[in-house]
Amino acid sequence: MDQLFDISLLNSTIRMVTPILLAALGGALCARAGLFNVGLEGMVLAGAFGAVLGNYLLNNLFLAVMFAIGCVLLLSLLYGYFTIHLKANVIVVGIAVNFLAMGLTTFLLSAVFHVKGAYYNKDMEGLPRLDIPVLSKVPVLGDVVSGYSPIVFCAFLLVIVLHLFLYRTVTGFRLSAVGQSPIVAQSAGIKVRRYQYAAVLACGMLCGLAGAQLSLGQVTMFAEGMTSGRGFIALVAMMLGQANPAGIMGSSLLFGLMDALSIRMQGLWLPTPFTMMVPYVVTIMAMFFFKDKSYLHGTTGSSR
Amino acid sequence: MKNWNPMLLSMMQPIMAILFGLTAGAIVVSFTGESVMECFKELWRGAFGSFYFLSSTMARATPIILSGLGIAFAFRAGFFNMGAEGQMVLGGLAAALTALHVPGPGWVKLVAALCAGIAAGGMWSVLAVWMEVKFKVNLLISTLLLNYIAVLFAGYIVSGPFKDTSGSAGLAQTAMIDQGSWLPKLYNGMSVHAGFSIAIGLTVLFVLMFRYSIVGYEVKMLGLNPSFAMYGGVNRLQMMIFSMVASGGLAGLAGGVEVLGMQYRFVDGALTMPGYAWTALMAALLANAHPAGTAVCSFLLAALQTGAAGMERNTNVPVELSAVIQAVLILFVSVKFGYSFMRRRKARKNNGSII
Repeated sequence: MDQLFDISLLNSTIRMVTPILLAALGGALCARAGLFNVGLEGMVLAGAFGAVLGNYLLNNLFLAVMFAIGCVLLLSLLYGYFTIHLKANVIVVGIAVNFLAMGLTTFLLSAVFHVKGAYYNKDMEGLPRLDIPVLSKVPVLGDVVSGYSPIVFCAFLLVIVLHLFLYRTVTGFRLSAVGQSPIVAQSAGIKVRRYQYAAVLACGMLCGLAGAQLSLGQVTMFAEGMTSGRGFIALVAMMLGQANPAGIMGSSLLFGLMDALSIRMQGLWLPTPFTMMVPYVVTIMAMFFFKDKSYLHGTTGSSR
Repeated sequence: MKNWNPMLLSMMQPIMAILFGLTAGAIVVSFTGESVMECFKELWRGAFGSFYFLSSTMARATPIILSGLGIAFAFRAGFFNMGAEGQMVLGGLAAALTALHVPGPGWVKLVAALCAGIAAGGMWSVLAVWMEVKFKVNLLISTLLLNYIAVLFAGYIVSGPFKDTSGSAGLAQTAMIDQGSWLPKLYNGMSVHAGFSIAIGLTVLFVLMFRYSIVGYEVKMLGLNPSFAMYGGVNRLQMMIFSMVASGGLAGLAGGVEVLGMQYRFVDGALTMPGYAWTALMAALLANAHPAGTAVCSFLLAALQTGAAGMERNTNVPVELSAVIQAVLILFVSVKFGYSFMRRRKARKNNGSII
């Protein structure tokens, strides 16, 4: 057990949780606006590729992250146009977005980098690790709270910001109103479509950050389908947290811990495939406790 | 004459989508600097250029048609079965292990293996149904996550307990199945096998079933208007289990057929890497879950993929072009889905029935 649980596990949990948390927050904004976003997976993947491509083209980490966000914004604009403007089924469009991201990233991987499977370059620089001036000197706490990429700090800051936004601002309440009843919101003079587009674009931004953290913050490479279901886990985290930032942080931390544990457990008593199953199994088990679907407004996954 | 209009309309949608998809493909190709016409010519030649290419397109279409029919079946009843990949992998694994370890003459093994494939796929999808019914676990997400678990589990089985130790290569795969229990090839030297006939036969069966049988009608009603169906005495739970078992069973059969007709062993990743299940999902979406339409779309998408492979051999455009075209196809088909979805939502609002 000592091998499993220690400070560095907490460390890797926080690093692992960041993409999930960011994507889940994005999903929550969409859910608040009444769009159940199944395309998170594809958006994060596009962000991961965009970050690596931006880094390769522009040779600047900040611009690379911006580039990633830009790529995902385009994708989410497409998602928004189809779901909001053309009123297509959100789930089908989400699936299509996932496919599009998967296809485009592998296509561009071989078209731009001329490699199959994964792109890795030893000269490529990852996101820097930031140390918080005072806190990093504190013995145990310092190891837990500092030494992460800026995106990690950004993610946890966003939890607070989004919480304040959703529960303390008029705009936040209006956004929830849009999701709860578009018709009533409209008759109250709220520009429903504008809110929905804003939510989808914000979700795109968050997913872009999530992708950048995944490809530049953790491993400094891009591999085909490297999100491997994290977008869907984020979706579950969003549902489990009832589209509420604090709740999402809690459930994301659970999944991040499982992700980190599954890596840690490799080489222990379980064969690797079983340790790799852990996050998915825990995600499914977590859904057993999730009963309240009220904010999904009829967009349940089991029916069209 | 009355049936003509909706049928024409339902044909128009996929055709429009295909045009949009090809346009998107042309745009992507032009970015790589290759000649667009040359690429599409190679695409066509790779899919239908000769009888050999046609037969490999048919072989590739076989698992896609089968699992596409399965996914379409669930769609018809109003359920999203995203777990075809896991069901297919488990079906293939079960079929391979059954063919290897069941005693008896070749054809007994073959039949037993196909049945085992169907059973494994069906049971895996019933797990998701059970979770949805008992614990309200969202079917869309549970079937998706079960994919990862199934694929990892199958990977463990063929790299651990049932690994082929005879070969020198360290590949994770089962031993070779005896030639006696292979699915026969339709033409000598061609890759298309008897699984293709099974797929076509099942397509015809489903078309007839949805048109003439009571079960087919009930499934369709449940998908179109659940409250009406339940009012008319359809047991929703029973139909849900039935349609999801059929859906998973078909995906499992697809895996079994691919193992027994093409690869003759279960190789880790051989069913997931080509993305059969996802192509099947797209085919079902494209055809709006009509069985014959699903089969046609599966065939076309398989042709797109084999064509893209041929194109990659002869031009500088990578094979993933087909994935881009497919995704754009779905995007444009999704608009049509919107209409039926809105209809349903309206129905739901009026009488308060959930799911």
